[in-house]
Parts: sequence; C-alpha cells; structure tokens
Amino acid sequence: MRWRYTLHVIGALIFCIGLTMVAPLGFSLYYGDASRMALAQSMLLTMAAGAFLYAVFYKSKNGRALNHREGMAIVALGWAAAGLFGGLPFLLGGTFETPTDCFFESFSGFTTTGASILADIEGQPKGLLFWRSLTHWLGGMGIIVLSIAILPFLGVGGMQLYRAEAPGPAPDKLKPRIQDTAAVLWKVYLLFTALETVLLMFGGMDLFDALCHTFGTMATGGFSTRNTSVAAYHSAYIDWVITAFMLIAGINFSLHYLILKGQPLKAFKNPEMRFFLGLFAVFTLVLTISLYRENYETVGETVRYTAFQVASILTTTGYATADYELWTPLAVSILLVCMFIGGCAGSTGGGMKCMRIQLLLKHAHQELFRIIHPRSVSRTKFGGANVAPDILSSIQAFFMLWLGLLVVCAFVVAASGVDVVSAFAASLACIGNIGPGIGSVGPADNYAHIPHLGKIALMFCMVLGRLEIYTVVILFVPEFWRN
Amino acid sequence: MQDDRLRILIVGAGEVGFHIARRLAVENKDVVVIDRSEAALRRVLDHIDVQTVEGSGASPRILIDAGIKKADIFLAVTDSDEVNLIACFLASSLAPDILKLARIRNEEYHDFQDTLSQSIHRLGAVINPDAEVVNSILRLMSAPGAIEINEFAEGKVQLIGVRPPDDNPAAGRRLMDIRGMAPDLPFIVGALVRQDRLIIPGGEDTVEPGDAVYFACGCEDRKAVLELFGIKPEPLREILIIGGGNIGQRLARQLEEGPYHVRLIDKSEERCNRLSESLNKTIVLHGDGADQQLLQEENVHGMDLVAAVTGNEESNILSCLLAKRLGAKRAVTRINKFEYMPLVQAIGIDNLVCPRLSAINSILRYIRRGNVVSAQSIKGEDAEAIEAIVDSSSELAGQRIMDVKLPRGILILSIIRNGSVVLPTGDTVIDAQDRLLFLSTRGNISKVEKKLSVNLDFF
Repeated sequence: MRWRYTLHVIGALIFCIGLTMVAPLGFSLYYGDASRMALAQSMLLTMAAGAFLYAVFYKSKNGRALNHREGMAIVALGWAAAGLFGGLPFLLGGTFETPTDCFFESFSGFTTTGASILADIEGQPKGLLFWRSLTHWLGGMGIIVLSIAILPFLGVGGMQLYRAEAPGPAPDKLKPRIQDTAAVLWKVYLLFTALETVLLMFGGMDLFDALCHTFGTMATGGFSTRNTSVAAYHSAYIDWVITAFMLIAGINFSLHYLILKGQPLKAFKNPEMRFFLGLFAVFTLVLTISLYRENYETVGETVRYTAFQVASILTTTGYATADYELWTPLAVSILLVCMFIGGCAGSTGGGMKCMRIQLLLKHAHQELFRIIHPRSVSRTKFGGANVAPDILSSIQAFFMLWLGLLVVCAFVVAASGVDVVSAFAASLACIGNIGPGIGSVGPADNYAHIPHLGKIALMFCMVLGRLEIYTVVILFVPEFWRN
Repeated sequence: MQDDRLRILIVGAGEVGFHIARRLAVENKDVVVIDRSEAALRRVLDHIDVQTVEGSGASPRILIDAGIKKADIFLAVTDSDEVNLIACFLASSLAPDILKLARIRNEEYHDFQDTLSQSIHRLGAVINPDAEVVNSILRLMSAPGAIEINEFAEGKVQLIGVRPPDDNPAAGRRLMDIRGMAPDLPFIVGALVRQDRLIIPGGEDTVEPGDAVYFACGCEDRKAVLELFGIKPEPLREILIIGGGNIGQRLARQLEEGPYHVRLIDKSEERCNRLSESLNKTIVLHGDGADQQLLQEENVHGMDLVAAVTGNEESNILSCLLAKRLGAKRAVTRINKFEYMPLVQAIGIDNLVCPRLSAINSILRYIRRGNVVSAQSIKGEDAEAIEAIVDSSSELAGQRIMDVKLPRGILILSIIRNGSVVLPTGDTVIDAQDRLLFLSTRGNISKVEKKLSVNLDFF
C-alpha cells in the first residue's frame, strides 16, 4: 500500500471535481442568483485542496502500476472526498442548517440516490440546483470512469480503478485500452444526454430544466428542480420521454455501444437486457390491471403513470409523477420488489442488478436439479457462456452482505428514532440508490425529519450501494491494511 | 471513435504472450490477447492495459470476436505448435493481408517453412525458441566473460555485456579516463548494471567493482576491449551439456562441427540411446546432472563450460552451482521464469539463456519495421538497442553528435555508413541514410521516436 501515491491520485480526482463546479457557477452568474459566491468559493477551495494533495504527494519513483488494494482505496476514498467537497456549495450557501444535511444532499447526488432534504426546491438559487443535478450526472457514469478517460497518467492502474468502481459480475472492456473504453462509455453517455435534453426542450422545458432532468434521468438519480418532481409539468410527452430514457439508462452501456456500432442483433440477444425489459413489461401490465378504474379513468392514463413509476423504481431513478403510496397494496408491493432488483450491470442504475438476480435464480435452479439427479454434472450458463464457480460464490457473498448491511442500517435508522417501516424503506432506498421509499420517506415526503445518526448511516449506505459493497466494506477489514 | 493505433492480436497468454503483450502495450499499441484459460487472462488484465478474449485461438468465431479483421499483426505464441499453426491458417483465410507470426518448437515444421509460407498468406516467420537459445549459447561462447551478446549490422557491430573481475584495470575509473587508457581503440560504453539497475552513463560516471559493463565495438576489436576490462581470452575446449532434450541435442550437434570435446549427460536411458545414435563425436552419459559423483568422475573441474539446458530450471540452477563449486570455469543455465533472472547471476552463475525471452526478442525483431532495421532487448527487458536508418527528413540529418541534445537514458552507440562502422565522437556528423545504433531505456523509447524523428512504427 503506497499511501503517498494513493493520495496523489485522489488529489487529481478532487481537482477535477472542483473544475466541474464551473458549470453551476456559469448558470448562477447567468441567472444572477445568490449562490455565486458560495459556488466560486467552493470551486477554489476544492481545486486548491486537490492541487495540494496532488503536489505534496507526488508520484512514487518506482513506476509500478496501481495494485488491486490501492485501486480499491482510491475509489472508496475518492468517492468519500467527492461527497464531502460536493457538499461545500450547500454549506457555504447556507442551504441547510447543519453540515450533515449538506453532505447528505451531496452524497445523495453523487451516488445517484436522489434522496433529498430540501422541502422547497423551487425557492433555491438556480446555481445550487444545477450543481445538485450535476453531481448526479458525474456520479452516474462514475467519477472514476471520467477521470480514467481524461487523466492519462493512470495507465495500467486504470483497470484496477475501473473494476473497483464498477465491480459488476463481468466488467467488459470495449476497447483494448482502458482509457479508450472509459472514453467510449462517456461518449455514449453524452450522446444520450444531448438527445434527451433536446427532446425535453421540445416538450416545453427551458434549457435549465431540461438539463437538470436529463442529468437526473441518465444517471438514474432523481433530483428534480420542481417541488412535485416530474408531475409538475402535467405533460404526457415529458412523462414518456423520461420513461424511455430511464429504461435506456438502466441498460448496460456496452450494449448501447454495440447498437450504435451497428450490431443491434448481438445486443438484443443479451439475456440480462431481455430480463430487465421483460420485468418492466410484466410489472407495468400487472400494475395497470390493478389500478385501472381503481385510481385512473382511462387505460392510456393508467399505463402512463404505472410505466413511469415502474421504470423509475426499477432503474432506481426515483422520479415521481404519482404518489404510489395511495395505490393498491399489490401495486406498492410490486414496486417494493423493484427496489431490490435494480438495473442491469454496467448501467447507471443501482440496486442488486438484474444479472446477479438472474445468476442467483439459475444457481438455485441448478441446486434443485442436482437433488433430482444427484450424479449430474452441470455448469451455470449465462447467455451461452459458462459462469465460473468463483463468480457465483462472489455473488452469493454479495447478496448476503447487501441484505445484512441493509438490516444493520435499518436498525441504526430505527434506533435513531424513526418508525420501523420507514427506517427499513429509507435504508433500502439508499442502499439501492433509489431515493423515495415508503412510509415517511415516500415520494411525497423527504428525508429532512430523519435524525443525524440516521442520516449518517444512510449516507454510508448510499456509497455502499453505488460502489457495490465490496470496495467500501473492504476498507473495514483489518487484513486490508496489513502490508 | 477513430482508431489509428496499431492493433495486434496475440493468441496465448503464457509467459511469451504475456511479456510480448506488456512490451507492446507500454509502447501504446492496441493489444488483444486470446487464451483459453480464464486464470491466465486475469493475470494479464491485472498487469497490462489490454483487451482479453476467452476462448481457443484455433476457433474462427473467437478470432472474429477478437477483431481479427481490423488487426494489423497476428501472433500465435501458445505452447502448442498445432494450435499456433491452425490459428495462423485461420487468420490467413479470415484476414489474408495481416502479418502473421507463429511460435513453433518442432524442428520438422521449421524445415518446411517455405511450404508453410505458400499456404499461409503473409506468414512473416516461424519462430523456434530452441534454435534461438542454441544460437545465443554459441554467441556467448564466442566471447569469454560475456554475459550477453547482441549483434547488429549483420554482425559488424556487437553490443557485449561483461562482468569484469573486481581487480580489473578499469575499476574505479571514470569512463572518460578509461577512454584515455586506449585512445586508438574504437569502443563505447553504453550501459552499466549496478545492483540490478541499468544505468545509461555519461563520461563522468565511474565503473565500480561489481558492475556489469555493456559496450559496443566492431567485432575485430572485441578482444582488445575485453583485455581492457581485465578479461583474458581463454580457448574453450572441454564442454559439458546437461540435458539432452531439443536444446541439448541441437547444441551438441552444432558443437561437433567445431574443435570441441563435448560430453552430454541425460537422466533418461532411452533418450541417451537415441542421442548416441544421432550424435557422432559427443560422449553421451547416462545419469543425473546434479550427481556430484558423476560430475567428478567426468572431470568437471577441467570443464571450460557447463551448459545446463534441461526443462527443469531449478535442477539446471543446482547443477550449475555444483559444477562451479567443483571447479568448472563457466556455467550457462537455462531458465524459463523471468523472475529467476536477477537471482541466477546474483548466486554466481555466469550466463543464462531463456527460450521465452529469445522467442520474444525474435518476434519483436520481425515486427519492427519502417526505419528500424532491428531491435533487441538488453538485460532482460530494461532497455532496448535499436538500429534505425536516419531519414533525410529527420532533424538529426546533417547535425554533429555534440549538437544533438539527447535526454539522459538515450545513447548513440555507433553509426554504420556504407557498410562500415564508425564509432561516433562529438564531432561526427550524422548523414541521411546512415544506420544509427542507439541504446535507450524502455521508458525513453517514445522520446527517441520524437527526438530522432525516426519512425519507430511497426511494419
């Protein structure tokens, strides 16, 4: 473990985050709102801190590439640093009364959770709102992937970082070089972002609103610029555009790249994408049947609201056009199932990821099969390829840790003074990077009422969920620190 | 999303594939590695910035998946000759225009290279690592005290690494003073290896006792330069080869043509029988190369050279240590793992040969093209000696050497002009069409490209 080198890289990362604050500063100056000083100060502070770390802990002399452990430490600590420095504009702008709230909002942004403390969103300066949405966008594809794409000095170490940030069961390398791979992912991301922004502007949003909502959609985040989220626009067109792009963001970006490269057939054969879209279709259908005539008058209206809510929760975005807590128990429980599943591996969505669920189901099926045919020899296959046994056992451990940490967090939140159902829902919504839960943290409520201790536990959960458990938990294993 | 970098497909992620991939990736090439073993690929991914494809290199579907149609060079370097050949055949029908190289160990294939080249379009070469190893042993024998010998300009210039005795006349002196000891002798010291670190020295640097010295000179001056470093030529007569496999047999057969007394020890009685049938003058002995009794009986202390070339590197090292302790003058050991390289010389074995390193070197030599005539690794993988033609558009053409500002770590060793060797001084003017031999540490190769505007591209 080379500490100096680790801090050197984290310094570069912090500096880049500081640089991105120029965008909200621009909006703030354009609208002439009150947040420009806060943003300018945060930007300078962040860049200065980054440059300081970068310069003081210069690169180690022996040019060894980053090893596995250093990669994990950089990613975990880098995300913690991003959350902390990302909270500066709120802190200096006096958005919240306590620092915990500022950092909660920032962590919620970077991890694309979208759980908010703001009650009156529309009353906030536009610069701060833009920063809030921008943190989604940066965190969606990943601040590490972004830095791999733009910082050439990471070299071979880039792969270690890439895997620590997107540790899905099968991280694909689309190009021979990791820097090119990261750049390709960001280009696809940028392309869809531009497309959605334009489509939303056709629906009547101004550039500011369109960008903020696009950031929230493509990153599967969920921060809106309106108090009532997307419902504020009362537009079926906007609902459908956002539904479509939420689904796009929930699909593996490698597949988008394949489609853009002109190999759509290969992409459509992907079993995970089929599973994801299948779930979306089935859940929407069941919800529509359950809610038609119950809550909504026409089929068209019912489908519009159910499809939006299913896509929003399944992809872990967290936008709302309806308060689903007023729906039938069947509908609410289906949305609860969605919270556990999440998007596809390699997407910007959170949750446990479809691929893991599929592999767990296949593995369970195989175990049953073995009981019937005790002497059978079979391997779990996924999309025609064999799945190595160590990947399966790693997924089982992931499943255990995910559920275990969810329970521990729910326990801490409840102990801090929140009712049990809301505590559980809040923890689930945070570890899954969703945002709205049920109970007192439902789509019509926010997280302001949760005590400090609970908020801190939830922030931790968000980072756990975004980095998919291992990268964070490993820091708490004593063995990790032994040389 | 344009791709203008060179794309290279490597089949086989073993030791050879791994190290070639690493070398090429460091030089900013797009590399895709294909292997059947997931574990081998994981090792590649952990250490090298390349793309990997799991599957057999002898499967057309895998080759297409790996992007053979867009590739520029195809290398088949698995441990299996058959897989390598089939992979090349497939590559030839899938993408006829790309350069293909195969690593083939079976000598029989090697003899039919012309036939193969007819059926495989653009088969650049068939690499036989065993033959390369025998050649490097023979080269080492030609210079006493040498730890490494590389030839350039059709053998006119040699880059020789030696480890001078501690009391040699040059020890403790600055390079410029050593120069002064023999003002008329044309040679240039290119590198020093001190405690396993390679240094490209300037005139102010001193040669410490225990350093290994790499120098370039014309082949006719070699003897004189070696004497300058206190190394006296002793004729080699008595040679003991331990291990009668491919390499041992080949070596023995080649040595039979020279004035040598060769003995060969092998463990397997059956193999000894076969060896005695195919060899004429060599004394074939059945026994263990690490058997002290046997070595003493066969007069090991009178041996000028002991070469341990069995497939088992640990037993090679032990045999050599034993032979040296019993009084053999010089020992060469064959190793496979690169990790053993620094170790072997530290424990007093004079030379080592490594089939895989030889294979890597010959492959690199084949795929370096453009202005580069040849390129060879020095001291494992730390540095590379590159022979390149100066283009008339190069900023170097027409300059005096003292006016060319070269970064530390890059050195011009010699100039080959119209077929004769010029060892450069500060006043030498570089002409277009000169062949320049320079030495560079690995990290500096890209700077060489820029500085000399010699196009270091492959192919």
